[in-house]
Amino acid sequence: MRRVAAALATAVVACACSPVAPYQRGYLARPDMAMEPVDAGTAKALERTYSAKEAARGGASIGGGGCGCN
Amino acid sequence: MAATEEPPGGEPQRSAALGALTQAALALPILLASAKAGAAHVGEIGLAVLGYRERGLIKVTEPVLWGKLQLDDVWEFEASGALDMVSGASPELLTNLSGKPVQSVTGASVNDRRTTTGLRAKRRFGDFSLSVSRTVSNEHDYHSHAYSVQGELDLDQRLTTIALGVGRSDDRVGSSIDPALDEPRDTREYLAGVTQVLSPVSVVESTITLSRGQGYYNDPYKSTLTFYPDLVLPLFVTDTRPDHRNELAWLTRYRRRFPERNGTLQVDYRYFRDDWGIRAHTLELAWQQDFGERWSVRPALRYYMQAAADFYSPVVPRPQPAVLSSDQRLAAFGGLSPSLRVILRLEDGFTFEGSAGYVHDAASLRLGGGGSEAFSTLRAVYGIVSISRPF
Repeated sequence: MRRVAAALATAVVACACSPVAPYQRGYLARPDMAMEPVDAGTAKALERTYSAKEAARGGASIGGGGCGCN
Repeated sequence: MAATEEPPGGEPQRSAALGALTQAALALPILLASAKAGAAHVGEIGLAVLGYRERGLIKVTEPVLWGKLQLDDVWEFEASGALDMVSGASPELLTNLSGKPVQSVTGASVNDRRTTTGLRAKRRFGDFSLSVSRTVSNEHDYHSHAYSVQGELDLDQRLTTIALGVGRSDDRVGSSIDPALDEPRDTREYLAGVTQVLSPVSVVESTITLSRGQGYYNDPYKSTLTFYPDLVLPLFVTDTRPDHRNELAWLTRYRRRFPERNGTLQVDYRYFRDDWGIRAHTLELAWQQDFGERWSVRPALRYYMQAAADFYSPVVPRPQPAVLSSDQRLAAFGGLSPSLRVILRLEDGFTFEGSAGYVHDAASLRLGGGGSEAFSTLRAVYGIVSISRPF
């Protein structure tokens, strides 16, 4: 895990040296390039569906509250 | 939390639940009206409905209403409200009466409703932004009040964004079969993340969340019954878990646009671990293919696998341990979930999305083997339809 973290940090630092001009960011603004590429309602519904059946959860945000889902 | 029967005073609680959802819905037209006051104001309003059905068990219907508003590139507001309606039968007892441990569904049916409302406000100060959120979730036997504060700093002409956040959740756990149960569960959360533009067509985000919880984690509806040939009476144990849970979730998401193919690759990977011994990996691969400006199709495949909690056991061992749970969500298993989403964008701004997915969880789907033999294979289907409109 530490190796992956180090590789990721290195990649981020290296990439930060390659600027992308504002006029080149058209594709980056597309909805399907968003980290949450679905609408908010669908994202919340899917998140609750999986977290009710699995032990793992979270990672994307905080403050979502607990659930007694059975 | 699921109930085994309709709680006393079910009607007033149902009214309260609908009231909470209505309250969230009422906030959305306010956002809409504010948006029309100025041309620099943009937003979105939408409604999604989830239908979920497990073979032989639970059915869930969940409408979600949400709205977003951005004012002059300085303020952002989000509001959402959801109502979970759960019905069906819930497995409660794991017993080896038939010779091997299997889940047993009691005769009582689940009939539960859960409301969730969330609000978030964000203020931008140049390259720095600060957001606060509040989420309230209510079931008749589980109540949650959560808050968070998060700061984001844009660096290098917004090619890099650093995020730091803290949050907490104050929960109360109850039970419809034990009206006296009213126990706290408090959780502190921490978030650190970085988003990096890699090129004009690719971006990556990596976020770590830490969660430190203290309180009541037992599931009041689950228990284990084990027969031993040399014992006259079977051993019966109710679900008993540690009074704390510390979690780490590391989520990395990558997006890459392929302009020549009119498609976008979406890759999500999450590593999860906690001090209960659970280690989990989640990988989702998706490809969104655009057909002109109006239609898009997004096939996706999600794979999940986890190791069992240290105190998971399908039978009551001898000697009997201090903590024990046979809840199969704490077992070792794997899961595959293919899905297909279709998106239609109309010229007047309306966007329709329809998703259909299949969930298949089984002990044999755990990579490398080691799945828990008592895990009862889960097969479920879900569908989500949504409509949204920017303004």
